[in-house]
Formats: sequence, structure tokens, C-alpha cells
Amino acid sequence: MDVKGIMDGITSDIKETTKTLFDTMIMLELNYDNASLIDETQIKTDVIGMVSFTGQYHGVVGVFCSKKFALKVASSMLMMELQEFNNDVKDAIGEVSNMIAGNIKTKMSEKYGEMHLSIPIVIAGEGLSITAVGNVPTVADTALSCFSKDPWLMTYFISEKEKFGVGLLLKESK
Amino acid sequence: MPKVLIIDDSTVMRKMIQRNIQQSGLIVDSFVEAGDGKEALAKIAADSSIDLILCDWNMPNMTGIEFVKALRGSGNQTPIVMCTTEGSDAKVVEATGSGANGYLTKPFTPDQLKTKLGAFLQIK
Repeated sequence: MDVKGIMDGITSDIKETTKTLFDTMIMLELNYDNASLIDETQIKTDVIGMVSFTGQYHGVVGVFCSKKFALKVASSMLMMELQEFNNDVKDAIGEVSNMIAGNIKTKMSEKYGEMHLSIPIVIAGEGLSITAVGNVPTVADTALSCFSKDPWLMTYFISEKEKFGVGLLLKESK
Repeated sequence: MPKVLIIDDSTVMRKMIQRNIQQSGLIVDSFVEAGDGKEALAKIAADSSIDLILCDWNMPNMTGIEFVKALRGSGNQTPIVMCTTEGSDAKVVEATGSGANGYLTKPFTPDQLKTKLGAFLQIK
């Protein structure tokens, strides 16, 4: 089995899981945009939340978003306006990744056997401090690339006018 | 007055659960937090007045299921509600078979939380 063979079913699971999460615990409107297999070189993002899973099949579920959107999600979850990309924001994206991955895993386990989840990892591009004219420090955002040999099944959503992706790497264990 | 221990490696999730309980009408006097099972066991050893435990499954150092087994192994019968993304039937059976008293799958609505915890806490 490869990802292409089960793409429609898994995309449907990702859409349902992400929609339920946004309706129940994040409380932000969510609209599905599109889904496709994407080479890792095409994925550019500020923040990546990742949860890996092992079992008969193994892989990674990733949430890819901008820092701006991560701030909105964390602010909504905590019901307070966050201005700074701090540990609470990373923690929130980790938990979002965890809830999406956990529910996708549960659905996949019904079809492909029991799997085990890792705890989430969040990677965020660090702001670079540079000295501008007048010796005023400013911040330049960086972008991260994700590297893997296989294409990601990326499912994109729009929320708060921001596009973000839920990605899946899936391989059959030998 | 009831005291609830929330065990979750996410500080954001611990805050969300706490807020949801406070807004639900469930009568809770105070909360204790722990980031993993090991820390939770230490908190329980230091505080015998905890009335209800909410416990995540996947955590570093000591997982939720390891915590449940360790607590029940020590003879402590404080009610435990698992609160986790692990939603398969096999996980529910494993948790309840190990001594958990309830199971709540994340994500959850405030009503689902209230219903699950209402079996162990009074409602205003």
C-alpha cells in the first residue's frame, strides 16, 4: 500500500478530525481548501508541530502554519490575546498536533492495526535580530523547510484568513 | 471541598481543562497540576486530599497508563478519568482494566467534560 492508494480516505479523516478540533476546542472557523501530494521542497512555513507514530504502518503527522496563525490559535485556546511567540504558543501547536494525530491514528488503527504515538515536537523559525539604520533592532522572520524522501499528503485549510496545512507521511513497516 | 489533579504534559491543555471545569458548574475548590505520571505520584504522596484525577495518556517520563497502574498498585482508589487523544476501543479497555474509572477523548466539548466529570463531582 502507498499513500496514493488510500489518499481519499485519509484526507477525509484529516478533514473531519481537524474540523471537529476547531469546532470544539479552538473555536475558530475552519474551511477546507485542498489536498495533494507535495514534495518537501514545496513546503515553506514558520512553525511545524509533529507527532510520529509506529506500528504496522509508521509515519509523521505535521501541522504547518505561520507564526501569526499559531498566535491566533494559542490566543483562542487560552482565551487571552497573546502578542509574543512564546512557549505557550509552541505548547498550543504541540497539543493541536497531538489531538489531530491522535484522532487520525485512531481512525487508521481501525483499518490498519494498532499504532503508537510519540509526544509532540514543535519547531519554530527563530527571529533574527539585526541592526538597522539608527541602531534600532528589528526582527526578520525566517522560514523552515521540511526534509523527507517521500511526498507529504498535505491537506490545507483556511482559518482567520490564514492558510495552514496538516501533513501526513505514511509508510508500511517491514 | 473537592480538589482535582490534572495530569497533562501540555500547560495549555491543563489551563483549558481547568477553565472548562470552572465554567461548567461543577463544584471544585482547587486544582493541582502535574506534567507527567511521575510528578503526579509525587504530588499525591504529598497531598492526600485529592478527590479526582484527570490523566493524559502520552506523556514523557511516565505515561498515563503507567501512572494508573502505579497508583492502583499502591492501593490508592481515587477516581481517575483518562483525558486523551487515544480513542481506540483497545485503549479504553486497557485503561479501565487497569483501574481508570472514566474515559474522555480529546477534543471534547464543555458538555462532554461536564457529563464525564459529573459522575464524580457535584454540580451547582
